[in-house]
Amino acid sequence: MNALLETVDARPATDRRRPPSRRRRSSIGHPRLTPYLFLLPTILLFLAFKLYPYLSAFWVSLTQNVGGVTAFVGLDNYIRLAQDPLFYTALGNTVLILVVQVPLMLALGIVLSVAFNSMLLKWRAFWRTTYFVPIVMGLVAYGILFRALFDSGDGIVNEMLGAVGIGPIPWLVDPFWAKISIVLAMTWHYTGQNAIIYLAQLQSIPGELYEAAQVDGANGWQRFWNITMPGLRPALLLTVILSTIGTLQLFDEPYVLTNGGPDNATLTIGMYLYQNGFRYFDFGYASAIGYALTLIIAVISLIQFRLFKEKTR
Amino acid sequence: MAVTATAIAAVAALVGCSAPSADDSATDGEVAGKITIWTWDAPGDGLKAAIPAFQELHPDVEIDVQDVGNPAIWEKITTGMAAGGSGLPDVLNIGIDYMGNYVEKFPGELVDLRDFGADELADEFPSGAWKSGSGADGAVYGIPYEVNATGFFYRTDIFEQAGVDIDSIETWDQLLEAGVTIKEKTGVNLYNQDKAASAADSAGLWQLLTALQGSFYFDEQGEITMNSEAGVHSLELIKKANDLGIVGDEQGSWDTLLASLRGETDVAIMPSGGWMAGVMENEAPDMAGNWGVRLPPAVEPGGITAAVNGGTYLSIPTESKNQRTAWEFVNFALGTLEGQEVVYDGGGMFPGYKPMLESEGFAEPSEYFNGQSPNAIFIAELAQDTPVVNYTSDYARALKALTDAQTRVLLSGADPEEALNEAAEQVAQQTNRKLASD
Repeated sequence: MNALLETVDARPATDRRRPPSRRRRSSIGHPRLTPYLFLLPTILLFLAFKLYPYLSAFWVSLTQNVGGVTAFVGLDNYIRLAQDPLFYTALGNTVLILVVQVPLMLALGIVLSVAFNSMLLKWRAFWRTTYFVPIVMGLVAYGILFRALFDSGDGIVNEMLGAVGIGPIPWLVDPFWAKISIVLAMTWHYTGQNAIIYLAQLQSIPGELYEAAQVDGANGWQRFWNITMPGLRPALLLTVILSTIGTLQLFDEPYVLTNGGPDNATLTIGMYLYQNGFRYFDFGYASAIGYALTLIIAVISLIQFRLFKEKTR
Repeated sequence: MAVTATAIAAVAALVGCSAPSADDSATDGEVAGKITIWTWDAPGDGLKAAIPAFQELHPDVEIDVQDVGNPAIWEKITTGMAAGGSGLPDVLNIGIDYMGNYVEKFPGELVDLRDFGADELADEFPSGAWKSGSGADGAVYGIPYEVNATGFFYRTDIFEQAGVDIDSIETWDQLLEAGVTIKEKTGVNLYNQDKAASAADSAGLWQLLTALQGSFYFDEQGEITMNSEAGVHSLELIKKANDLGIVGDEQGSWDTLLASLRGETDVAIMPSGGWMAGVMENEAPDMAGNWGVRLPPAVEPGGITAAVNGGTYLSIPTESKNQRTAWEFVNFALGTLEGQEVVYDGGGMFPGYKPMLESEGFAEPSEYFNGQSPNAIFIAELAQDTPVVNYTSDYARALKALTDAQTRVLLSGADPEEALNEAAEQVAQQTNRKLASD
């Protein structure tokens, strides 16, 4: 899930130029090696727990287990993937959820962050915490909660809708509504996190800008569009890319809520990878799906970087 | 330099911890120490019940029975096996449908129990059940814990209230007609099904109906037969029942099952494994007298009325550090009459151990079932000439494809034959197996 987040986190790392040192080099040992010595534990851990699994998974993606024996099959798994209708179903579902859910969540996140930042809001710390809590909720509790909410028979949501005469909606058992349920659950889960990121960015916008705008007669809406939104741009880029990557790797929600069903309506690439690996023991094919997903994420992230860059110019 | 060496050693230790330890002394050893068992709900209760009796024989043994949950246990076992056995406990409870897959995909991960003389037990179990737990070369990978014939349970009070005589029903067509009457008279659904399969697969009924016609997902050669005439007919029956409006839509979880057993959500029939008889007595004692049991109706008039409904095994992973103790416990629980009796009383799993089946009182009429004897019915069922069930290593794929096809039929009104043909082709594409119809 988080394997690719590092790439993004590494992005804003600014060019940390060291001031040219005028001091004489210490004579003990080889001073040029010192930084590497300090980095060594991290490098070793990175090699063991990051690089090795990446390479190992790539190797596995070129193999197939036939009767307990691992055989090298070249690109067979990738060729099979290119012809697999279920993979395209999973890809389609994932992209659909991405296109609907991410804009919805980010818009909501902006609204929330502006509200959290507002001086008019009482108990601001309380509200911020409340909205951030879902992000730390465990997978099992999450599943139980949303199953209780979205049960198509006596679920809490349907009971409430029934009270106002709408009703009952087959939340988790209808192909269309199952997708909606996933979108709602994800929005609940991650909106708070994005709002907190925006909030941090909002607090870096100088208050004088707002005061000046007010003096010039800009109304609230104008201030929002011309000061807040441009100010949020770096955070927007970060959240758009993080959310895109997170959604492309989507697994938790379909796993706990719909089991990828009904009839693969909520099958995501992550779910399909999992099914092939852990249900069908087809680790070669599962690894190939993983690498295909990596490629997709890389391409989409690159496009997003480009788009945002042009806008900032 | 020393730092480097230590760090490398530490990393090597972390990475290399899954290397299998070829411990020849594992089969000797004392019967002592702690062993851990992975299982789930009711089978776990049965094994827990055997602990005090076992500890009387071996006081130094500590046994930890862990309820990992079903189906979560399969993923946990898979993960452990893929990691070379690391993290696995000393005893595994493995379903018949997963056995072939584990043995085939992870060779060498399960102890060949012949090392402990398990082959002596072979004659004490039904040969079919024993065979499914053994490799092609005769290696014994699991001792049968449960051996299940299909249990066809019905609510006596609901049938009575609707004025339907259960004994007059000989075929599934007649049963569906009765279902309509029951729904009209009492408002109760004939049975429940997880139509969207959002909580679990819901292929049990299809498997039963197909088995009653002598067919399954694969034939003995491992070719795909799920879209055979029998398979299509089964799905048509399921569609018919659904179209008649006599099928309740319930999630396929343990909790909803218990609710049905306890009469909290009423159903008129419950086709299930023979193990359900024991679960009913343990989990729904208040319903005594309201549940009856019989052979399932035939699909075709005069057709077979027996089907095998799975089973489970106890196996020992080769990574277990305490194989001797693990074996002694497995042998006590499943290979002795004394152990079988406490296990059966504790969990109600239907045993395969012949001395237990023949033991006094085992097939006696049960008060819970109005003087019927479920065990006598299951023993008779197991004795019928049921078709061989070949799960193959691709059962999980076939099951998923079937469940999806069934969901399309039940929720979107797809044509059973078309849906099954699609499913069969999908399995063929995924597995390189042939369609038997080609």
